[in-house]
Amino acid sequence: MTSSTLRCRSVTVRYGSNPVLDGLDLELVGSETVALLGPSGSGKTTLLYAIAGLLDPDHGEIAIDGTVVAGPGVSVPPESRAVGMVFQNYALWPHLNAIDTIAYPMLRQGLSRSEARLKAERLLRLVGISDLADRLPDQLSGGQQQRVGLARALATEPALYLFDEPTAHLDAGLRTALQQELVEQRRRSGAAALYTTHDASEALAVADRVAVLRSGQIVQIASPEHIYREPVDVWTAGLTGPTSVLKCVLVGSGEGTIEVEFAGSVSRIEGGSSCPPGPATLVVRPEWATLGGDRSGIVEHLTFEGPHTDYTIGTGHGSIRIRRAGSPRLQVGETTQWSLQRGWVLAASAEVDGSEPVVP
Amino acid sequence: MADRAASRFPQSGGWLLVFAAAAAVVVYPLFELARELVTVGRSSIADTFAAGGVWVPIFHTLWTSVVATAVTLTLATAVALATASFSPRKRILVVVGMTLPFLIPPFVSAMSWVAAYGPGGLLDDAFGLSLPGLIGSAGVVTLLVVNATPLAYLIVLSSLDARTERDLVRAARVSGATPWEALRTVTLPMLRPALIAAGAISFIMSANSFGVPAVLGTPAGFGTVTTRIYQDLVLSADPAAFDRVLVLAAFLAAATIVVIGTADVHSRGRIRLRVEPSGPRRGSSGGTRWSARLITAYVMATGLLPFVALVLMSITRGVGLSPVPTNWTLGNFEEVLDSGAVGAFGTSLMLAVTAATITLGLGSLLVVLERRRRSGVGTAAALSFAVPGSVLAIAVLLAYGSVLRDTVLIILIAYIAKFWALAHRPVSGSADAVSPEVFGAARLCGATPATAARTIVIPLLRSALVTGWLIVFVFALHELTMSSLLHGPGNETLAVSVLNLQQLGEPTVTSALAVLLTVGAALAAIPLLLLRRAPVDAGRAQ
Repeated sequence: MTSSTLRCRSVTVRYGSNPVLDGLDLELVGSETVALLGPSGSGKTTLLYAIAGLLDPDHGEIAIDGTVVAGPGVSVPPESRAVGMVFQNYALWPHLNAIDTIAYPMLRQGLSRSEARLKAERLLRLVGISDLADRLPDQLSGGQQQRVGLARALATEPALYLFDEPTAHLDAGLRTALQQELVEQRRRSGAAALYTTHDASEALAVADRVAVLRSGQIVQIASPEHIYREPVDVWTAGLTGPTSVLKCVLVGSGEGTIEVEFAGSVSRIEGGSSCPPGPATLVVRPEWATLGGDRSGIVEHLTFEGPHTDYTIGTGHGSIRIRRAGSPRLQVGETTQWSLQRGWVLAASAEVDGSEPVVP
Repeated sequence: MADRAASRFPQSGGWLLVFAAAAAVVVYPLFELARELVTVGRSSIADTFAAGGVWVPIFHTLWTSVVATAVTLTLATAVALATASFSPRKRILVVVGMTLPFLIPPFVSAMSWVAAYGPGGLLDDAFGLSLPGLIGSAGVVTLLVVNATPLAYLIVLSSLDARTERDLVRAARVSGATPWEALRTVTLPMLRPALIAAGAISFIMSANSFGVPAVLGTPAGFGTVTTRIYQDLVLSADPAAFDRVLVLAAFLAAATIVVIGTADVHSRGRIRLRVEPSGPRRGSSGGTRWSARLITAYVMATGLLPFVALVLMSITRGVGLSPVPTNWTLGNFEEVLDSGAVGAFGTSLMLAVTAATITLGLGSLLVVLERRRRSGVGTAAALSFAVPGSVLAIAVLLAYGSVLRDTVLIILIAYIAKFWALAHRPVSGSADAVSPEVFGAARLCGATPATAARTIVIPLLRSALVTGWLIVFVFALHELTMSSLLHGPGNETLAVSVLNLQQLGEPTVTSALAVLLTVGAALAAIPLLLLRRAPVDAGRAQ
């Protein structure tokens, strides 16, 4: 049985009377990576700071590798917690060059200057910036700065990494490259990681499990595939990827299939449900529906995104977004056929009026 | 094209005005001073040194300034670091408490310390306690520290605020640094430019201070360069004395230049900072209660209690009486009115209003002009503020003394030279924060340049304009060093009247006048404190 690397129990942090974390529970096992996905203000950074020891929770308990580091009467200072952190704004020291920055944690561990520099050089090579050793932060690009930040976190050789939106300030191409770098280095080090982001695709890409944070609580934690296919509610569905939300009636459900009535006709499709038959909410990802088939609608909107095109089809009972590879083949206003392939049914909720696709 | 041609004429007129003003109030007088020094010649200077009376004040000025600077830096940094960890509400109280002494003129705070801690002072009267050495070198150093601390504190604090310091310290802690190691390896190195600037300013303020040594040094026979200049220029009829004044002024100017030059070289921007959003402000808050208590005690002991003692003395019937209600009187204030201080008040008020208005006009004009094209005038104005008051006064006297000696106008010239930078800085700082896009966006919305200036730029700069005017007004109202050297019979400034009364040995009447001066200036400065609350952030947001 694998042991728990991080355990948060009913962690509460208030700013004034306003709870930012509200009785949060979270456990990381072995060397897994958990992505903490939530909109800004949901408490992601606050949770990382509480785990790192940069602020004390008002209530609850935090244990790292089985040792309680924060709780009633306990507050282990950050330098004794053995966590490595990569900051959103890089937090590089403006007066230290890359190699001195990376050597810093090892100096604090009591290594001699020469030993620390030797190890720091190895880490610089590892993150691919050995030619930038003498540069100060303001002489480095955003991506290079974050590589230094990553190497500094690696240098602490922690049991747990905390990544605080490490790619938020980078442009798209660099973001993917750095994501892969982070995943790879983390995997090699064999330590667990908690990775915050507000970007669904990033969360799904980097994590073994995704935890969805809303108003200081975790509303769902599951594998990326599971959370994408079976979001716990409409809000989570919208947060975890492009989604169409439609009013439907759940007629019946079987092993991996559901029968839904939508716009007057019943479809038997792949999928599942989290509620009993009756009036319900149908969640459809763009690739769960195809053009051509038994239903008709009018093209309301086209979005060409390179590899694929998203078609927004008006059905008369709300709009549905359908993704198809290649360039646009229809025009706005044209009538077209479409069909449902897959769906996920949630209990009917008041916040869905079925008229607009939910697009984050 | 036509538009540009039309706007060229008033612009070159503006430059002409700015350059002429800078030449008349700063460049020409300093040139005259330098010429006079050359004329006096090397042999005469050597004679002056040989004759004595030069080395002792120079030595006194140097060591008191060095000690005061060291203490000020330590104190200001410690309090600033503590302040940065306070909650916003507590923080405001501490900042106001620490900077309020700035409103008390240095010579008045020296007098108030005597009233509180001197022999026969409030504590002596109540508990038989008085500070030994308050009249003398120890007192001079202490009051130099008290006077330089507010500014040094503000410089260090704003440097702490300007950076993502909190996240940088957090990064150090997560990297395994103890709080002390994080302070030593991250916070202090990053504060280096601010510490150098604060140190340089503390040293210059201390070396140039006249009020403090005049009140606490002179009675004990402890002379500094500035008090020596005053005695030689105003009280002495000895012709050799003027050579000594020139030499001492040259020394003060040289010391200032060396300190500024050194500071500039050492603080030059190796470290550039990008300000990025920082994480939550809240942190672990151990030990802040203790530091808050210490700071409160400091503010009470150095500012509040002495000033209360001064106020009590001003309403006490006579020297040596306990400041209890039975001995209270308003007679001292009546005596102030009889002593001709009303005229001095008029002179000071007139000087302050005129100097503030002219410097703000020149400063704003310079800001507008420099938006199109940089020039050295802004830097020159900033540097002329660092020129010691004694030196500037002598320079202005040499340049215009033959015509304007003993008139109010010659004081006004010195004030404009000295305070130009004070009016220019807030306006230019605020204007830099207003991005050009703000103006352009207004133009795109259909505003003419004049409308855009009136509806967008002026409102954004309004608090800076008011700040600039009020700062000059308060400083001019307080001013002692230059007016003590330049005033003639019948046009004493308020500060000079206080000093004269003090030297006549009438502590109760002197305190009454000092209280009036301070309260008047403080009332004028209240809007300043309120304005600080509303910084212009527009145009800086990303």
